[in-house]
Amino acid sequence: MGLVIKETKEILHEILDNTGVIIIYLDINENIVFCNKKTEKITGFKHGDIIGANWLKILFRGNDNIIKQDMFKAVLDECMRHKREKDFEGVVLDSERNERIISWNLTPVMIENNQTGGSILIGHDITKIREAGNSAKSIDQTLKDILSSLKDYALYVINLNGNITYFGMGSEIMLGWNKKDIIFKHVDILHNIKDSGNNLHFILEQVRLFGKYEKETTLITKAGEAIPVILTANKFLDSAGKHSGYIFIAKDITERKKLEYQAFQAEKLSALGLLSAGMAHEINNPLLVISGRSALLMKERLSQRIKKDLDLINSQAERIQRMVDRILKFSQKTKPAFGPVGVNEAIEFILPFAQYNNLPDIKVEIKKIFEKNMRPVKGDLHQLQEVFLNLIINAYQSMPKGGVIKITTSSFRNLFALIQVKDTGQGIPGELLKDVFMPFFSTKNDGKGLGLSICHNIIENHNGSIELESQVGLGSTFTIKLPFI
Amino acid sequence: MLYKVLVVDDEAPVRDLLNDLLKREDCKVSICATGEEALELLKKDTFDVVLLDIKLPGISGLEVLKNIRDTDKNLPVIMITGFGYNEDLISKSKEFGCSGYIGKNMPVAQIITTFKQFAKSAKNG
Repeated sequence: MGLVIKETKEILHEILDNTGVIIIYLDINENIVFCNKKTEKITGFKHGDIIGANWLKILFRGNDNIIKQDMFKAVLDECMRHKREKDFEGVVLDSERNERIISWNLTPVMIENNQTGGSILIGHDITKIREAGNSAKSIDQTLKDILSSLKDYALYVINLNGNITYFGMGSEIMLGWNKKDIIFKHVDILHNIKDSGNNLHFILEQVRLFGKYEKETTLITKAGEAIPVILTANKFLDSAGKHSGYIFIAKDITERKKLEYQAFQAEKLSALGLLSAGMAHEINNPLLVISGRSALLMKERLSQRIKKDLDLINSQAERIQRMVDRILKFSQKTKPAFGPVGVNEAIEFILPFAQYNNLPDIKVEIKKIFEKNMRPVKGDLHQLQEVFLNLIINAYQSMPKGGVIKITTSSFRNLFALIQVKDTGQGIPGELLKDVFMPFFSTKNDGKGLGLSICHNIIENHNGSIELESQVGLGSTFTIKLPFI
Repeated sequence: MLYKVLVVDDEAPVRDLLNDLLKREDCKVSICATGEEALELLKKDTFDVVLLDIKLPGISGLEVLKNIRDTDKNLPVIMITGFGYNEDLISKSKEFGCSGYIGKNMPVAQIITTFKQFAKSAKNG
């Protein structure tokens, strides 16, 4: 029997010493009565050094740790007072003052008369688990942060069937789709399949052949708008390394496209300017001869019929002359005489001229919303007046049945003056919008198509910008930005 | 006779028209087609006014003007051009000392009136 008891004691010791957790027996004053070998290993303290010592004072050394020591003591007291187990996590210092995160289980030891005679502490060192957990959490958070800050990028993943399985934050902003509405829809809903290079089959073929696909193309938003992007596609491998779909990254290049278009437009206009200057010169000479000779002939004694014909020749020559003058005006990239220009005053000045151009039986209401005391812009007064006049006449002409012209002026961040001329006219179809500033483009039957291109030229010479928004049936809005002086 | 005028224009129909128009205004007119010819004529003869086209083959109207000003500060020289009202050409012409500037895009009557105004003020000035 004695042998059996001895053996049991030995076995118990073996268990206690070989277990992977700290096991400590404290008396009611928190002094260590017993600790196993794992305690020595984890804390770094030798068995002989800590037996009989105050556990809390050993583990929470120094003034910095008084709070931690008090917290541990509070938990321990609660456990003893309520006579029930307690689980909690805490940081302790080992012999080399390294922090160890321990998951504790505190159990009161009951002695006679339901009194507590001490406590058993079982501690599981979870330092490594926590550290790994923390870094995993932080990578996850970092990725989330990155994905949510990619406003110019859309990131989405499709499975092998082409259905969207992930739709990143940037995708929602760029493409207007809510994640929950697009998940599991086929990716063709985003890809502009009219653009042959963008069909999924072709993209996947490229990825298969070259490892990736990259192309400047367009994506379709929920509202049906095409957004210019650089689209790249790669194979998507899951955590097990299995090819489970494709990842797409689209970079929104709307701004770049806009700048490219403006530069292209400017280049085209300047080439056209040169061409028209040369052409105007070549027309002016013979035209002078035609009108000059007919004017001289008119002074001769001639029959009424011939005089009538000469008159016709003259008036037609004058008509060509007016056209050539407009072309010349357009072609001249003269340096404007810059000075301070009060935008509100400039508009007020030309309004009567615009109204004069209007037929009296058309009822047009002019609404002026002018920012008071706006800073002057840097500009050539006459040229800017010509722009405003052109835009307002344009607005009148777009409303043959009458309507409202709203002229708004305001400051934009103390950098630019914003001038808007908005009409309630027939509007311009979207596909024609990009052409309105081109010379000889007109939606009017009798239009010369030079007014807006002259405006464009002038505003460009002023380092400003002019844009048009229009909706058929609702009207058009011209927005001009001019830098303050 | 109102003025003795030298008309310089490379295009014969324009040259002849200006000749006829000015003759009607009681001017005595000499004509030539190039800047080089004009400078030669100016050496041989004296004129009250020169009506000088800007775009000419060989030396340009502006260079002719510059040449004239090297020797004669007072001779009235009126520039005329098919480029019409062109600020760059106007400022260059002024810089070189022209007495006036006429665009061929003006109505004929206005061309003559403007010519007479410039010539008169140049002579009086």
